[in-house]
Amino acid sequence: MREAARKLAPTARLRVAIYAMDLLRRTALGRVVAEAGHIVVGAEDAADVVLADGDCATGETRPVVTLGGTGDDRPGVLSPDAGADQIDAAIRAVSAGLIVRLPDAMDAGFGAMRETDGHALLTPRELEVLATLAEGMTNKAIARRLNISLHTVKFHVESLFRKLGARTRTEAVAKASERRRHETIAL
Amino acid sequence: MTDQADLLAEFSNALARRAETAKTAIVAIRLAHGRHLTGMVWRSEIVVASEQSLPQRDDFELVAAGGAVVTARMAGRDPATNIAILRLAEPMASPSIAAGEAHTGAVALAIGADGTGEASARLGLVNLAGAEWHSSRGGLIDRRIVLDLRLARHEEGGPVFDTAGACLGMSTFGPRGQVIAIPTATIERIVPLLLKNGRIARGWLGVALQAVAVPDALRETAGQSSGLMVMSVVDDGPAAQAGIVAGDIVLSVDGTSTHRFRKIAMHFGSDSIGRKADLRLIRSGAVITVPTTIAERPAA
Repeated sequence: MREAARKLAPTARLRVAIYAMDLLRRTALGRVVAEAGHIVVGAEDAADVVLADGDCATGETRPVVTLGGTGDDRPGVLSPDAGADQIDAAIRAVSAGLIVRLPDAMDAGFGAMRETDGHALLTPRELEVLATLAEGMTNKAIARRLNISLHTVKFHVESLFRKLGARTRTEAVAKASERRRHETIAL
Repeated sequence: MTDQADLLAEFSNALARRAETAKTAIVAIRLAHGRHLTGMVWRSEIVVASEQSLPQRDDFELVAAGGAVVTARMAGRDPATNIAILRLAEPMASPSIAAGEAHTGAVALAIGADGTGEASARLGLVNLAGAEWHSSRGGLIDRRIVLDLRLARHEEGGPVFDTAGACLGMSTFGPRGQVIAIPTATIERIVPLLLKNGRIARGWLGVALQAVAVPDALRETAGQSSGLMVMSVVDDGPAAQAGIVAGDIVLSVDGTSTHRFRKIAMHFGSDSIGRKADLRLIRSGAVITVPTTIAERPAA
C-alpha cells in the first residue's frame, strides 16, 4: 500500500548530477533543476539522473538527459535551448525508465526529396514579416521597421496565419520553421 | 503426417538454412556504449553499411561470423544514397551476391548481426516495389523498396533476400521508422565510385535556397508562380563570385524551372562540375540573367 502510494506521488525529489563544461551554464541548469524541486548533487555522487549540456563521458552508466548531445542511445535527448518545463519533464520521465525524444527525431531517417506545395508558399514580404514576428515585435513596430502601413502589416499577418494554418504568432513562427526544413535546399 | 513433406515445416526449414548461410554475409560494426550496427560483406575486403547511422570515424572494429574481431577503415561515404563502405584490414571469405528484383507482395528475409558473430533474422513482405526516387539529400535511388517487417536499430545495414536467395538490397530506416531497402543496383553503382574517390562529387553553387511565391506584380514577367529565394550565400563560392546576393529569387537554372526541387537537383550531378549555368532571377523587381560556373561541392 505504501509502495503504491510512493509510486503515485507526483512530486518525487530526484537527485540530479549536472555535466556542463561552461560554469555559467552549469549554474543556470542547477537553478532550473532546484526550482523544479529536485536536489543537485556532485558529478560523482549517487544520482537518479544525469543532466548533460551536450555530450557527457562515454562511460556514464546512470540515465542521462542530454541537451543537444549526439548520443542517440541516451534515454533523454532534448535540444540545447530546452526550457525549464521540458528539462523537468525529461528528468522525471527518464528516472521513471521512460525514453524522451523530440518530435523532430521521429522525422529522421533516409527519406525522399519533398516537393513544395505551391499554393501555400510564402511571398518574400511575408517572410520579412515572419522574421519580425519571430523577434516578438508588435504590429506598430513591424510597420515602422518595414516602412509600411499598419493596415498592410495586419494584411500580411492574416495571410501568414491562413497559409500556415496558425492561430497565434508563436504558432506561426513555429510552423514556418518546421516548413523551412522541407522547403530549403542547398545548391 | 504422410511421406509428403509438410509445406510449412519445409518453408520454415528453408528460412532457417538461409539465415544460417547468411551469417557469412554480415558483420557487426561496433559503436560506442556496447552498441553495434550491421554491415554487409560486399566483397572479400569491402563492407557496405548504412551511412546515416555510421559515426564520423576513420577506424572501426567489426565482429565477423563466428566471433572473430577484425579491423576496418572508412573508405568512403555518400549521404545522398545512404551508402558507406569500410575496407577490411584483412580480406575475409565473402558469399557471392546476386542482385534480386523486388516485387510487391514477395516474401523478404532481412538479416542482421547480433554482435557476437551470429545472425538475426526478420521475415516480411515487400510492401511496395516502386520506381526510382530522389532522396532529400539529392541522390538517385534505383527503386523504391518498402518492407513490411520490423527491424531493430542494430540490424540496420544488413542484406534483404528474396526467396531465391538473391539480394534485394541493404536494409535501412526511412522517416518515422519505416523499413526500406537501398537496392542492390544502387550499391553496385555507387561502390566503385566510392572506392575511387572516397565520396561522390556533386555540383555546387554555394547557396541555400527557400521556395517562395513570386509576388503578384512580377508573376507575368517571371512566367511562373514560385521560385527559390537565396537565403544565404557561401563566401567565395561560385554564386558569390557571380554576384548572387541574398534576396535574389531564382526562377530557372539553364532553362529548367526551379518549380520542382527534383529537376533542379538533377542539374547538379557529378557531370555538372565546371559547367556554365545561367541563372534567371528576380532582383529588385526586375528579371535578369546571371551566368555562373558550377564547382565541386566541398567535403562536409
